[in-house]
Amino acid sequence: MLFVEFRFFWFFLAVFCVYWSLRENRSRKIWLLICSYVFYAAWDWKFLFLLMGSSALDYFVGRMLARTENPRARRGWLMLSLCANLGTLAFFKYFNFFISSAAELLAWLGLPASIHTLNIILPVGISFYTFHSMSYTIDVYRGKMRAVSSLLDVAAFIGFFPQMVAGPIVRAATFLPQLKTLRKFSDVDVRGALVLFLTGFIKKACIADSVAPIVDRYFAAPGDFTAGSAWVGITFYCIQVYCDFSGYTDMALASARLLGYELPINFRFPYFARSMSDFWHRWHISLSTWLRDYLFIPLGGSRGPRWFVYRNIMITMLLGGLWHGAAWTTVIWGGLLGLGLVVEREWQHWTDRGKEAGTARRWLGWALTMYWFCFALMVFRALNLSDALVAVRSFVLFRSEGAQDLGAWMLWIVVALGILHWLNSRGTFATWWRRAPDPVFAAAYGCVAATVLLFIPPHYTPFIYFQF
Amino acid sequence: MTKPFSYRFVCVAIGFGALLTTSSIYHALLPASIPEGVAEKLEFFAKHKDEFDTLFLGSSRFYYAVSPEAFDNITRENGLPTRSFNFGIDGMNPPENFYVLEQILKTEPRSLKWIFVEADNIETKLHLKILGSQRLLYWHDWRRTALTLRKALNPRPDTKWYQRLNRLWSARRELTLHLGLFQKQFTNVGRVANFLSSQTEIRAPESVPKLGPKGDGYRLSGAAMTPERAENFRRTLAAEVAAPGHEFIDPYAEGAYRDCAARIRQLGATPIFVVAPSIYQAPLRFRESPPPGPVLVFNDARTYPQLYHPNVRVDEQHLTNEGAAEFTRLLALEFVRHVGQP
Repeated sequence: MLFVEFRFFWFFLAVFCVYWSLRENRSRKIWLLICSYVFYAAWDWKFLFLLMGSSALDYFVGRMLARTENPRARRGWLMLSLCANLGTLAFFKYFNFFISSAAELLAWLGLPASIHTLNIILPVGISFYTFHSMSYTIDVYRGKMRAVSSLLDVAAFIGFFPQMVAGPIVRAATFLPQLKTLRKFSDVDVRGALVLFLTGFIKKACIADSVAPIVDRYFAAPGDFTAGSAWVGITFYCIQVYCDFSGYTDMALASARLLGYELPINFRFPYFARSMSDFWHRWHISLSTWLRDYLFIPLGGSRGPRWFVYRNIMITMLLGGLWHGAAWTTVIWGGLLGLGLVVEREWQHWTDRGKEAGTARRWLGWALTMYWFCFALMVFRALNLSDALVAVRSFVLFRSEGAQDLGAWMLWIVVALGILHWLNSRGTFATWWRRAPDPVFAAAYGCVAATVLLFIPPHYTPFIYFQF
Repeated sequence: MTKPFSYRFVCVAIGFGALLTTSSIYHALLPASIPEGVAEKLEFFAKHKDEFDTLFLGSSRFYYAVSPEAFDNITRENGLPTRSFNFGIDGMNPPENFYVLEQILKTEPRSLKWIFVEADNIETKLHLKILGSQRLLYWHDWRRTALTLRKALNPRPDTKWYQRLNRLWSARRELTLHLGLFQKQFTNVGRVANFLSSQTEIRAPESVPKLGPKGDGYRLSGAAMTPERAENFRRTLAAEVAAPGHEFIDPYAEGAYRDCAARIRQLGATPIFVVAPSIYQAPLRFRESPPPGPVLVFNDARTYPQLYHPNVRVDEQHLTNEGAAEFTRLLALEFVRHVGQP
């Protein structure tokens, strides 16, 4: 069930009406949990047991951590949680990748091995809900939050349907306290949530899905296209990946908000970032902060010698790349972005660190950041490493033997979308719709929604981040 | 200040009302979104509607099996000249054919005398998905959706409540599919996006046009089946022939066929129902007598053995070009015989 499908609308309407008609917090949580499991089971009910198992285990580990003060025992319980969560993730997501990579390495060393991969289905959202789950046990272990006494709360947090399958990655410390108190409908910004949902819907269904065929066409055979088409292809992919993921996040945030819960924001106009570090404060914020707090800082963070910090950055980014998909292209993508961060730090070390950047330098910073992101994204999107090399060659060296052209006029669409995005970042669309009386807003919303539906391609494209 | 429930309810109702009203306005203003394959034939027929007096409306069992040229030659030789057009379309089963027929009749063709309609039951199953979403979507107006849902639910007056509930559960996928498609169709999902992509898409010219090499809607068929498949075909056919019987058209399809027949007659034409020579040897019959029009039954290997030889069959449902020529001849002769009867 996707947020952009009609059936989600009916599903959510039922969830919403029953949820707010229940008077007790416990009843509401039970209802939310049932609905979340129904939502997940709509994809594949068999993997529901995995989700339930993960919730039960982390609840149990949380309880055990609360019972003991013995550091060794506590470390043991934490390791159990980490091994179970990461082990599940490793098996379902990375088993075939590691096996086939090992086989290729052995073959390269002249030791051909007959290794068979397994026909494993990747449970949707596993990368997200294992991170939700781990944040709970790690925070309890670190003493940042108390273990929760109710299994229902832990299960409702991990399984909460708006954020379960593609984030944002919600911390237990952020969400669990919200489950403690009865939400009031009068506190809900219904209008804001509805506008946010429609915005996300437009981003995903109208923009991302419309540009997807152009991107697919280019990346299916990058060698067949001209160098100019490489720029068109990657620019459209930038639009697709942003609108797809931030559109999903907007809809997730809005759905949660309509039920009285706040989820953390995930995007803050990342394509206006002026440096690589600025970019990671704006793009998939919930993942980058998760990696920072649970990986980068435990590795040593920014303290220590420069090479040590760079090592930490590279490890974090390589693992972040691997989290995005079991393929060498995603690992290299992570590595390239890590390299960007390292180079930026080194540059700042040797130049005027701490000084306010001038206008020209800010623009240059923006251009270099976008160029490097596009460069890395080409590798990320390519179907394999050889295609990635062809695409990168076209993009960087303007060299391609291909004759097909995607049409440079398409870049005008990018300019139009860029202007809209810029106006949005300036807050142009932020408040005027709040001033109208409720009935006028409702009528206008209905008209706009009917108009938006005209622009949806009839074939829904699955959310890109569902595959992660 | 907390607003009363009634106020909120009114606002929600206004929102829904605006959505439905705006969708209805768009629906009325925008041209129908007819998918490829169907659109070519409808456009061609709208331009040349008064040139034809005979129409063949059906699935691929008509599309690749009835040659208008051969049909017209035989009817002319038998003193009943016709000018026919093949409106067969791949996978066009009821209720899609009812929708297409309605579009044909909307053009108000003045010369139409005979409409041959392939008789079959209503298809509700999910394998319809193979036709692509646009092909599934366009005919899902309320009439056709309601017909499909009634067939999927198949309510009978004498059933107990738990049997009805069980039926509802068994038909849940079909209900979801068809209701979802109706919602999409009603709210005009993708109508502008489709139009824009059709304007920008670069398509390779088709090797064989949808209207067929002679522009009469008939398309040549494929080669005869392989010896292994022929053996399997013989076995299945023998089993079918050994257990003869008949099958009633389902009551929902029958109602729709009767409605179609009435509309065709209003136009001054005569409907003729044809059961194509498929491997299933259970001739379809209408439950109520008299039937809505003459019914020509060809799925009978004993009466028409020449249509069931593996050499003239592509598969269990389709004929080769030689088979198509023979079927067209038989159809024309049956037609002449029926019309010649007082």
